[in-house]
Amino acid sequence: MALESAPSPLDEKTKRTRDLLASFYNAASGATAGGSNSSSGRALPVDSINSPNFDPDVYMSVIVQKENLDGLLHNHVEMAAEIKNLDTDLQMLVYENYNKFISVTDTIKRMKSNIIGMEENMKQLLDKITSVQSKSDIVNTSLFEKREHIEKLHQTRNLLRKVQFIYDLPARLGKCIKAEAYADAVRYFTGAKPIFEAYGDSSFQDCKRASEEAIDIVIHNLQSKLSSESEPIEARADAVVLLKKLNFPVDNLKSKLLEKFEDCLLKFHNESKEIELSESDGLPKASIREFSKTVHAYLIIFPDSESRLIRLAQDFFIKRYGIIQQQIKKGISAAHLLLMLRDIWEDVNIMVEVLPEATLLFQIVEAASGICKQYILAAFSNLLQEISELFKTHSRPTEQSEESPLHIALESSKKAILQGSMNMLVEFRQLLDDNLELLVNLRDLIREWVQEGFQYFFQKLDQNFFILSRSGRPSTTESSLNDLVYTERVRTGLVLVLAQLSVYIEQVVIPRVTEEIATSFSGGGVRAYDHGPAFVPGEFCRLFHSAGEKFLHLYVSMKSQNISIILKKRFTTPIWIKHKEPREVNMFVDLLLQELDGLLAEVRQVLQHGLLRRHHRSDSNGSTNSSRSNPMHEDKLGRSNTQRVKSQFLESHLAKLFEQKMEIFTKVEYTQESVVSTVVKLCLKSLQEFVRLQTLNRSGYQQIQLDVEFLKNPLKQYVDDEAATNFLLKEVINAAHERCLDPIPLELPILDKLINAKLNKRQGSEIKFLPSN
Amino acid sequence: MQGGSTGIVYGGLKYQARCIADVCADPDNTSFLAGTLSLKEENEVHLIRVSPSGTELVCEGLFYHPNEIWDLKSCPFDSRIFSTVFTSGETYGASIWEIPELYGQSNSPQLEKLFSLQELSSKIKCVLWWPRGKHDKLISIDEGNIFLWSIDSSNKTAKVISQESIGMLHSLSGGSWDPHDRNAVATICDSSLQCWDLRTMKKTTSIDNIHFRDVDYNPKMQHIIVTADDEFGIRIWDIRKPKFHLDEFPGHVHWTWAVRYNPEYDGLILTAGTDSAVNLWLASPAGSNDSIPESLSDYAARQNDPLLHSYNDYEDSVYGVAWSCREPSIFASLSYDGRVVVESVKSFLQTPKEPF
Repeated sequence: MALESAPSPLDEKTKRTRDLLASFYNAASGATAGGSNSSSGRALPVDSINSPNFDPDVYMSVIVQKENLDGLLHNHVEMAAEIKNLDTDLQMLVYENYNKFISVTDTIKRMKSNIIGMEENMKQLLDKITSVQSKSDIVNTSLFEKREHIEKLHQTRNLLRKVQFIYDLPARLGKCIKAEAYADAVRYFTGAKPIFEAYGDSSFQDCKRASEEAIDIVIHNLQSKLSSESEPIEARADAVVLLKKLNFPVDNLKSKLLEKFEDCLLKFHNESKEIELSESDGLPKASIREFSKTVHAYLIIFPDSESRLIRLAQDFFIKRYGIIQQQIKKGISAAHLLLMLRDIWEDVNIMVEVLPEATLLFQIVEAASGICKQYILAAFSNLLQEISELFKTHSRPTEQSEESPLHIALESSKKAILQGSMNMLVEFRQLLDDNLELLVNLRDLIREWVQEGFQYFFQKLDQNFFILSRSGRPSTTESSLNDLVYTERVRTGLVLVLAQLSVYIEQVVIPRVTEEIATSFSGGGVRAYDHGPAFVPGEFCRLFHSAGEKFLHLYVSMKSQNISIILKKRFTTPIWIKHKEPREVNMFVDLLLQELDGLLAEVRQVLQHGLLRRHHRSDSNGSTNSSRSNPMHEDKLGRSNTQRVKSQFLESHLAKLFEQKMEIFTKVEYTQESVVSTVVKLCLKSLQEFVRLQTLNRSGYQQIQLDVEFLKNPLKQYVDDEAATNFLLKEVINAAHERCLDPIPLELPILDKLINAKLNKRQGSEIKFLPSN
Repeated sequence: MQGGSTGIVYGGLKYQARCIADVCADPDNTSFLAGTLSLKEENEVHLIRVSPSGTELVCEGLFYHPNEIWDLKSCPFDSRIFSTVFTSGETYGASIWEIPELYGQSNSPQLEKLFSLQELSSKIKCVLWWPRGKHDKLISIDEGNIFLWSIDSSNKTAKVISQESIGMLHSLSGGSWDPHDRNAVATICDSSLQCWDLRTMKKTTSIDNIHFRDVDYNPKMQHIIVTADDEFGIRIWDIRKPKFHLDEFPGHVHWTWAVRYNPEYDGLILTAGTDSAVNLWLASPAGSNDSIPESLSDYAARQNDPLLHSYNDYEDSVYGVAWSCREPSIFASLSYDGRVVVESVKSFLQTPKEPF
């Protein structure tokens, strides 16, 4: 209030007055006014007339000092006017206050008189209200009975309406059936059902029967609707819901339907199997879409049948995998397998669209890996089978129509193994390179399987070779002797083929396969770190290396055994101590040379020539040997003096000491020469041993001398180690010499004559035995 | 292996020789008997003793023997008695000899012939003693027959108890007497191995169609035998199951002539061959391999080389080989040139025997 008045100079006076008045009425507001005025109060110090701590003396002294007379006069006038104003204002205020007081007193007086009349009115009002209430109660009681009656009537009416409904139900249902509004029919029937249950046996019997018949029709219709394929799926699903509402055993229906579906699948499967047998292009294009549609439908119709459907689908696919597996057993190409896998992958994907279940995908991945593994293993075992078949046909004694059956056997089996492995790798690469999603995941596994497969393959191959070489052993249990000799010949050849084949595998096949694996099948890293790579070529190189040597040794020993049998017959049959004078070279040499020819023929087919005469060193060694011992030998031959026999033993003993020990049994190599000379050496050693077991008379000694002298020349054609053969021949003579009671050798002219006679005879009649070179 | 001769050599035999036998009845000395094979000279039997230090071979006695010796066996219960089989030209014979008391003078006293095994119709091949101690029976095998003799060394008599002829088709070449069973003996011929029951003189089993050169019973395990043949080399059989062999080793480059089980260390086998070598084998314990034919057994087993060592520092074929019963880790071998070599196999016994 006082604050709001802007301190314009004109209002200065009224403002001050108001302030004063305000302070008069309200000390608090005055305080605030004072506070707010403190700024002006400060501006107006003690001499300011408006400030509360105004000091008139100071004011006076200030004014007196500051103003001149005029000013003082002016101030005086002003001040007098102000005082006058103030006085009037005060008067005015007092007056106003008084007026107000008067009017208040009047008002109070009037109120007092008004209140006295009101109390009576109130009492009247209460009376009236109580009378109204009692009257309304009376009305109420008089109307109550009537109202109850009305209510009863209403209930009866409702009941009658329901009865009407039930009586109408059959007709209504019939109408619904006609209109195919089965949902309404079911709703009506279920509505009426409690009544039927309650009173069905008495009052509503007919009605109930009729409506039940109608409902039966409804059920029947619904069923047919459900099973008909032509209906839209939603309608069929609705039908199921309705049937369920009617407490119809839907589950039975469901299982029946699913069984039908199953049968259908089975039939399809059987059909496709038959088709598969006749055609070879992929799996039969299954009407998988239809199936998936059906499955979809059933899934909607019977929401709770999912697991069953999944099982059905699983069974279905398992059967299809079975088809593939059967195909693999029959042997199919990788392309074909891929085709089938692709088909089935598509099928599964279609199925998965409607049956969004991980199990199917999981299942196919599993099945595919099984199939691939089986395929790879089957491929390997097929190859094995092929190879062993090859050997079987070759080991069977066929008519000797072919020039060199062993050569053919070797080449064909070489080809079979290398080509077979390479082809197999090509096939596997197809599997690996295919971008079918299914197979991409399996790549690592496929690589591993291929490696494992080779591991298995070579192991088996080695075992097969081993068994083959075993079965190739001549077993004397076989029926006729002729047959025995014949099969034996073919089979010993087979052992040689196996030896050479082992070398081939070691030196060519395994490196090739290793190379191939390294380029495209390496890094099947699934187990590489735990167990090392699945395929260990080094191991097999060693294995086949030793197998090759084993077979070569076996061949050599089998061959030398055959010869040993000839020698044995020769040396055990005659009574040497009563031998007659030698007339000609014994015919066993023919047999021996014939056997060697046979050996040479086999060896030539399979093995290679030695690049050069490998025994150069031992050759020269041997020649010095022979040159050293030859004169002694001649000496011995020429000597006919029996008295010196004893010293001869010592001599030969001494000579042996000085001679370098002859390395008779050197390592067998994969060359024609090495094998043949080893056999020759072994059989000469046997000859020596046979002689040592006999006791000879002079003629026996001479006979052996003659035979050995004769053998000297023909044997040269077979061997590359002449020194050793000469040494051994000499040893035979020595042995005969030792075992002779009267060792007088044949005279040289007679010896020559007999040898020449034999040579002529052989050249005349048996020229074919001589190696053609 | 060349020149790595560790054996002790005895060069006292002047002539060729085939036979060497361990004198197993002598408990005090390790000694061997060796007989020479000379058609025209006077043959000798050497009693060779390994010196107590084990570093040299001493000729303990040298006895003249009238004929060349094809077989020589020492009596298992009397160290002074031994048997020989000999020929001279056309005649064959077998005798039991007693070494006379030596009384220091070692120079060729006469052997005392206890008795000779008469009634020999054809070429006698060998005489067998029962290998395990005292037994009053002897077996002689000739080409066509097997004889069981009852001997009485004090009365110097021997008579045939029973005999069995094998038939014309085969000719026997040797045999071995089962150390586990006095009534069982195995004989070998051209094409088969037969086991005989001496009580009935009937064949019990046979392994057919193989030409065996030698046979020996396993002294540690009954029914187990080792054979040497040309076709497969060395094979081990259970004679109760003659169809399949238990194990086989490749044998020698040329013929495997003799095969002997070690009397003490099971599975240790010594073979001598005409390729001038003696091989020492270790058979894997029988039973670990069962009777699976070898072709089916796994690789590891096949690659595990059973050949422990090959002694090939010989000049000529080795026909005679004998373990010492007294010191089972040493053996004597005799090559045709008359050299006796005694070797110790101790260094091979240290190799772990348990399957790895």
